Amino acid sequence: MTLANALKGRVWLVTLAALIVLVIVNAYLQSNLFTPRVLKSNLTVFLPLVLIAVGQTYVILAGDIDLSVGAIVALVNVVTVTVIAGIGTEDAAAVLAGILAGLATGVACGLFNGFLVAALRLQPIVATFATGILFSGIALRVLPTAGLPVPAPYWRTYAGGLFALPVVLWIFIAVLIAVGILGARPFLRHLTAVGGHRAAAFQTGLAVTRVRIGGYVLAALFSAVASLCLTGETASGDPLMGGSLALGSVSAVVLGGTALSGGSGSAFGSVLGALVIGMIGNVIFFAGLPFEYQTLVKGVITLAALAGGVVIARR
Amino acid sequence: MTAALTARSVQKRFGAAVALSNAALTLERGEVHALVGANGCGKSTLSKIIAGTVQRDSGDIVVNGAPLVLSSPAEAEANGISLFYQELSLIPQMSVEDNIFLGREPRNGAGFVDRKALAKKADALLQRFAPVAGRGLNSKARVSDLSPDQRQIVEIVKVLARDPDVVIFDEATAALDHRQVELFFRIIGEMKDKGVSFLFISHRLAEVFAVCDRITVMRNGESVDDFVTAETDMDTVVRAMVGDIAHDLDPAPSTDFTSASARLVVQGARGQRLQDVSFSLRPGEILGLGGLQGQGQSILLQSLFGAEPLTGGRVLIEGRPVVVRTPRAAVRHGFGYVSGDRGRDSALQGRSIFENMAIAEWVAERRRLVWPGRLQARLSEIAQSLNTKYPSLDAPIDALSGGNQQKVFIARWLATNPVVLLLDDPTKGIDLAAKADFFRLVRNLAAAGAAVLFYSSEDAELIGLCHRVLVFNSGRIVAELERAELTSFNLTGAAYGSAA
Ligand SMILES: Nc1ncnc2c1ncn2[C@@H]1O[C@H](COP(=O)(O)OP(=O)(O)OP(=O)(O)O)[C@@H](O)[C@H]1O
Ligand SMILES: [Mg+2]
Repeated sequence: MTLANALKGRVWLVTLAALIVLVIVNAYLQSNLFTPRVLKSNLTVFLPLVLIAVGQTYVILAGDIDLSVGAIVALVNVVTVTVIAGIGTEDAAAVLAGILAGLATGVACGLFNGFLVAALRLQPIVATFATGILFSGIALRVLPTAGLPVPAPYWRTYAGGLFALPVVLWIFIAVLIAVGILGARPFLRHLTAVGGHRAAAFQTGLAVTRVRIGGYVLAALFSAVASLCLTGETASGDPLMGGSLALGSVSAVVLGGTALSGGSGSAFGSVLGALVIGMIGNVIFFAGLPFEYQTLVKGVITLAALAGGVVIARR
Repeated sequence: MTAALTARSVQKRFGAAVALSNAALTLERGEVHALVGANGCGKSTLSKIIAGTVQRDSGDIVVNGAPLVLSSPAEAEANGISLFYQELSLIPQMSVEDNIFLGREPRNGAGFVDRKALAKKADALLQRFAPVAGRGLNSKARVSDLSPDQRQIVEIVKVLARDPDVVIFDEATAALDHRQVELFFRIIGEMKDKGVSFLFISHRLAEVFAVCDRITVMRNGESVDDFVTAETDMDTVVRAMVGDIAHDLDPAPSTDFTSASARLVVQGARGQRLQDVSFSLRPGEILGLGGLQGQGQSILLQSLFGAEPLTGGRVLIEGRPVVVRTPRAAVRHGFGYVSGDRGRDSALQGRSIFENMAIAEWVAERRRLVWPGRLQARLSEIAQSLNTKYPSLDAPIDALSGGNQQKVFIARWLATNPVVLLLDDPTKGIDLAAKADFFRLVRNLAAAGAAVLFYSSEDAELIGLCHRVLVFNSGRIVAELERAELTSFNLTGAAYGSAA
């Protein structure tokens, strides 16, 4: 009774517990888990999903959903590498131009999604599924086959360190700070209100359309940053990048305690959810399961984690 | 001096349905002005047009002498207009304080929400209602955890927090008991003295006559009459509203039920807010639950219906103990439950009127397959007998006026022919004529053998309908009034009598 009460509306506590269990199991299976090198490589693998899940949270809080985030990752990636290659030099200025072009592309995608869903009132699932195909199509048009390596300064910086800490950790910390700042702004309350009861939010005088578009732009922006991270990791362009990220991000958001119906949840929870999903992959890999069982077991564990959170939250 | 607000020949259609054909009213500065009329006559629609939520097709709205377009709620608010929404404009998942200041959060220098200032302001505003707020209403509480009257108080506070010059209260007292109403009227009086103008919508004419300076009557989307309250009487106003005489309710005949065996027996029921509640109810009997708001009456009804847990005690139907843990089980045991809290308990939002009416029937009859045709005829008959105004059974429920929605939910439960009918402030928002029809239907059901438990926030309803009333205080039954002792004086006395 008291435990259930304490957990009410705090599914992320369950997620945190699951994460700790997974870390313990992983440490048991992989003795060198707590070495800086392994921690860093794990974080590098998890970071894109963390970013996208955070962005997805803002859309879901507002009662919408964005299935195009994976395609945005691909589009931002090919735009970034193409712009850098187009400039032709291998210096920081070219890299910066590429990154800015990628971020701008992300924002444009978010605005487009938001316009379709909030202004034209298309169904979010259908609309963003369709725009996802559209963005993938554009990505393939921009860069038909994988290739175009990014200059060394880009991937060296990403893989390197800054003030004694790896860059990926700095990015992770920056994400947490960004989440904190967004959480303290009135905008987050407006998003939550719009997702909680749209008619009431409108009657209260909130600019519902603008708020929903804002959610989509945030999601796309975080996806764009995730894409830039992936680009730093793969060091080249790939129009098929990020295929499974959309549904992965939705799972992470739900695992983190955000209601799919909108109106309650937190981006910090989604960070935990994304880490849990990443750790599930790790544990399965190190458990030495035959390859053909890995996906199946991953599905079962993810389902159990999702169901566990839901069952506990409902009581 | 110019009027605070004038509406002239306002028209509004929703598709083919005409909601307003010629609405007009003049609201003077510092007056309390009543807007009355039957369900579906257009009161809420006119209010929403003035508040910028709904766009009019034609007509003028003049505020302080200036004609305005009012294309959004924010714009209306900027002109000092604030509306208490009949169906409330609160976000259930958010806290009371966040709701009160939604969209106008105090910020600090960095553009962050200043939580301390927000909490302090919210507490100061809620403080005014503290004596009647009841348990659990504080600035941190989640709105979805509050009772209907508490939510209405939050909506009132939210409206007042906007420092409006013109306030529209669309059935703001519908779930409030008389103590809460008194305090609310005192606050209206204070603000009125400062020059704030009020448009007051209510189906409780006694309240209208208690606070309003003038009365505008609407009928079928049209403003048909204006009265100065001091120069008229209720009969005149009612006649203007319905176009004919009032439907008066004769008191229940006293009947001797002691010979019949009990239909429902509750022994020592306990729950989160119930303490040792025992009573029995015989077929044909209408048993009232009285007392101040939130003393356990609603919780008892919800517990019997399986929507709230009982932690102790026994429930017997026809002498057999039953355990009801879910509404589904309750329906199968022959319980019916009409809630006044339609937003939370009743509405299948976005679904058709037919689905909203038939849902209980489907559960009750364990139907897997249904033939809508047969059911449709029966349901529309019940809806008709309550004078429900709806375009067609296929229209979405949201298209109905508040009172007409409530009638749909009443029809839902009457259609199942319940053996025990639980009525939880069921007349919230329905007009006088429909109320009389509803009472007649309840009496007919009772006469046919149903046992009825009836909670109302209005004493007059208890007096009019019940054979016997149990008065609640703090989750206990503190008095039992027989038909002969059933007066407003005795009810009030019993409600306060043993109050701590
Ligand atoms: N969104 C809508 N779509 C279609 N019809 C509507 C809509 N809103 C209101 N109506 C219709 O307009 C008419 C007026 O409704 P309104 O809510 O203004 O009535 P009301 O006077 O407030 O009634 P009540 O006393 O029951 O609250 C009703 O016939 C209703 O069915
Ligand atoms: Mg109304």
